[in-house]
Amino acid sequence: MQALEGAPAPLLGKSVPATRGQKEGQNVRRLGVLISLGVLLAVSATLAACGGSSSSSSTSGSSGSATSGKPLNIGISLSLSGDFSDPGHAAQKGYQLWAKTVNANGGIDGRKVKLKIVDDASSPNQVVTNYQNLITRDKVDLVFGPFSTLLTGPAASVAHRYGYAFVEPAGGGPAVFQEHLNNVFFVQPAPTLNCGDPFVAYIKSLPPSQRPKTAAYPSLDDPFSSPIADRMQKAFEAMGIKTVYKTIYPSETADLTPVVEKYVAKKPDMVVAGTQSEDAYSQVKAMVQAGFSPKFVFLANGANSPTEFPSKVGAKNTEGIFSCGDWFPTSKAGGNPQFVAAYKAQYGGTPFDIDSTSAEAYAVGQLIQAVAKKTGKVDNKTIISSLHSGTWSSVEGNISWNADGSPQGSDMLLEWVGGKLQPVYPPNVALTKPTSPKPPWGG
Amino acid sequence: MHLFIQACILGLLAGGVYALMASGLTLAFGVMRVINVAQGAMIVLGAFLSYTLFTKAHIDPFVSVVLLTPLMFLVGVALQLVFIRPLRADEREELSLLVTWALALGIEGLLSVLYKTNYRSTITSYADKSWRVLGYHLSEVRVFAFGMSVVILTLLYLLLTRTEFGRTVRATVQNPVSARLLGVNVDKVSALGFGISVATATAAGAVFGMVTPFFPGSHYDLISRLLSIIVLGGLGSLGGAIIAALFMGMAEAVFAAEISPTWSSFTFFIVLIAILLLRPQGLFGTNERGAL
Amino acid sequence: MSRLTRTGVLRAVVVFGALAAFPFVFPAQWIVNIAIFTLMYAGLATAWNLLGGFSGYLSLGHAAFFGVGAYAIAIAFTHIGIGGSGYKPFFALPLVGIVVALVSVPIAWVALRVRAATFAIVTLTLLFVVQQLAFNLHHLTHGSQGLALPPPPFDVSTFEQPFYFAMLGVFALAFFTCWWVKGSKLGLMLFSIRDDEDRARGVGVRVTGAKVIAFALSVGFTGMLGGVWAYYIQFIYPQFAVDPLITIGAVLMAFLGGKGTVWGPTVGAFILVPAQQYMAYKLGASELYLLGYASVFLLIMLFLPRGIIPSISDHLARRRSGRPDEPPGAVASAPRATLPGGMAP
Repeated sequence: MQALEGAPAPLLGKSVPATRGQKEGQNVRRLGVLISLGVLLAVSATLAACGGSSSSSSTSGSSGSATSGKPLNIGISLSLSGDFSDPGHAAQKGYQLWAKTVNANGGIDGRKVKLKIVDDASSPNQVVTNYQNLITRDKVDLVFGPFSTLLTGPAASVAHRYGYAFVEPAGGGPAVFQEHLNNVFFVQPAPTLNCGDPFVAYIKSLPPSQRPKTAAYPSLDDPFSSPIADRMQKAFEAMGIKTVYKTIYPSETADLTPVVEKYVAKKPDMVVAGTQSEDAYSQVKAMVQAGFSPKFVFLANGANSPTEFPSKVGAKNTEGIFSCGDWFPTSKAGGNPQFVAAYKAQYGGTPFDIDSTSAEAYAVGQLIQAVAKKTGKVDNKTIISSLHSGTWSSVEGNISWNADGSPQGSDMLLEWVGGKLQPVYPPNVALTKPTSPKPPWGG
Repeated sequence: MHLFIQACILGLLAGGVYALMASGLTLAFGVMRVINVAQGAMIVLGAFLSYTLFTKAHIDPFVSVVLLTPLMFLVGVALQLVFIRPLRADEREELSLLVTWALALGIEGLLSVLYKTNYRSTITSYADKSWRVLGYHLSEVRVFAFGMSVVILTLLYLLLTRTEFGRTVRATVQNPVSARLLGVNVDKVSALGFGISVATATAAGAVFGMVTPFFPGSHYDLISRLLSIIVLGGLGSLGGAIIAALFMGMAEAVFAAEISPTWSSFTFFIVLIAILLLRPQGLFGTNERGAL
Repeated sequence: MSRLTRTGVLRAVVVFGALAAFPFVFPAQWIVNIAIFTLMYAGLATAWNLLGGFSGYLSLGHAAFFGVGAYAIAIAFTHIGIGGSGYKPFFALPLVGIVVALVSVPIAWVALRVRAATFAIVTLTLLFVVQQLAFNLHHLTHGSQGLALPPPPFDVSTFEQPFYFAMLGVFALAFFTCWWVKGSKLGLMLFSIRDDEDRARGVGVRVTGAKVIAFALSVGFTGMLGGVWAYYIQFIYPQFAVDPLITIGAVLMAFLGGKGTVWGPTVGAFILVPAQQYMAYKLGASELYLLGYASVFLLIMLFLPRGIIPSISDHLARRRSGRPDEPPGAVASAPRATLPGGMAP
């Protein structure tokens, strides 16, 4: 809030002598010009200052128990405005919740955690500027990854240059790992594109007679949608499942009726769709309208939202639909019950309202904590070398990484069973058994 | 063949809504020589407003059109008075492009603050219903949307041809200097014309929100399509815009169904380039002003 | 107009000398980083001005060529794998500029067949075409997956300097081209097009040729800047490389400083970019980011449509002529202001 009062003053101040100068010039036009310039600067200052409140409040000021030594400063750039601002805010919640929890328990190595969260407005230029500033100007001790995914790459290479560990919750696409940066650690069980693997494994586990014979692959043109379906298509074709239809539709496609009509005509046993959200709902609705119910339906995303999916397609139409997830509210993974309880206490709502992005961000903090506990140190070198060896536990499950920071585990297969979304595969994380084939629409 | 006809039907229904969207854009150009880059943002704004009325007050979007259009007409008049009128006449065509672009960004920014940036859609009880005619789907929402566009465009046509105000508008479009000499208050016509343009955008937005998921940034995609449509139809030509909109709607849908959905938005650009090469003034435009 | 006056040359030498010395005087990486983006936008605004400011044809699609330049560098150094990276992408820049300029010639020829308003529409559409191509041409661009360039092998303490000087180089090139054009026959042709294209054509000015050359030069520089940007950012995605906000930023800066002047776009960029980058970091850009952007834009358009430089130089000219209350501009604009609104005379 200090910024709110502080910032506009000097900028407005600049325009004062200028206005005074108008007296000698006796020139009305010039006055207009200068006033508008002053207004302009004032507006930009106010604009910036408005944001000040959000960023200054984001420094986690929790009243921890007795802590010693200087605080552990952690710098994070998040998209709190612009196109990615919704998940950006979810990540912010996760980070802040972690900092609060840690500080309530005495901090890390007796050092109180202080988060410096800055906004990158969903712009790659700003994310580079922000991590540059955090590292070389503010000299923070650690940095955590940004949201979104697309901003992780540029940010990771800045961090790499300065030898900072880059533990990040969101950047799981291949471009990030292609850079072979040894400081990157993607804190999810598996790279984003492998999210269909558990479903493939599940189909493989079925007796051949129960497996589907034909499949359709309609996917969204998005970095984290169509490549998932492509990968699954390869695996299924290797198993002898015939591809009868494949298409990639652009993200503006609002109405998928024409796409769905096309694959309905081919009557595939299985529909594997690389979807995001709205397009997943639209496909389900179009299938319901066409009265076509395949034996297996896998929707990469959209169907894994516990509250939104049934509200968009109708609760009775969800039964038997598969999707994938990296985190689940009722999971028993490292510290998850505590995370869910703390989240509820802090932000309210039910466990099913928690955005998995919050859990991912929380997990980033957990890992740092775990390294500190094991080695007694929290410097970047130690973090990088420690995380590269062994398996680490977090709310995202037990994770280990290859040299490029790509996690080596597997996501979980979720299915709508009895009106509830449940992890069903692999068996070690399943809360119930997968069921197939899918019943007709409407139960 | 079945798919082809189904695509044509879908495209025709979508084209009707495009026609409504484009009518305001081409009207504003005709009257003021202003290309309103904010038209897309106004449509998205209309979609959000009717979404809010629907989710908060349970007002059906087709009903909210009746409430919103007069309101947004006034907003449009105000915007014209505040942002476009003060521009110097000799720079207006040039500067108005940038001013309306800034308006578009401003509306996008405002909507991002108010509604966040995820996708919304107005889901009415009849959203998923469709009629089957001879084996073809006719989505109820789309048919209603098409019908509403026809009604509004007819009203607009009657307004322009049968009323005193309409005559002044057409006179302004054809020749503002002579219109002024004949006693037409061109400033007033411009303001009202812009108001009508925004009102049609709002109405189109209400139905847009029912057939398409939208978010504050949706306007970029919309405006590039609409601009292609009005160039194709001939800038300032209302009839041209309507025919171009129907044609583009169908071309896009057929392209998506028969060739590839990923490349379907290219139909707009291909047609645009062809037009520039063959007939830069558009299908129904003339080299002179005024073919409304 | 802008003949090589002594003060003019002196001013340019001082400014570019200071810019060349800047990273040695202020070596802190975070400062140089902001300076890189400032120079990038100064270059973009100057290049845009060459067409938009001089000829009056407002391009809203320059970001398309920025993206083409970015992808050219990214594709050459990831896919085709022109051995390693190092300084090589910088040496490839002139080639990128020339290729982008050549590619733009047929586009310009088609797009410039129409009047200014339609031209703006066509360029805006072009921007979405190129973005869509970047999404759809998977085998070249990896579509929405994006491309990752190999990390530049520069020493961390001076990592930013090669990028800084590359940006400075392209900016200087664009700047001096602008300067030269303004005083040349080409400049006269462009200004005559801006004032009245039909009359210019009537008196024998080869308007199409002049417009196409200005367009090609303008987008050539834009493409080169895109190339440097790609290498600096290292990760290229369609929505960032071909971003309408890049064009809007450049146009805004050109208008703020004064379109049609040599220094205007530079002044605009030097004011806006550091303010934006630093304030966003320092204070958080906040949800109101776009709103603020739009309001700054609207204020400039409404209250300062001619920009800072013309306003100041008018004022100086008036002071010198000793008639402060009767500026020369006012005489010319007064009758215009009373002309009926809604029409172009």
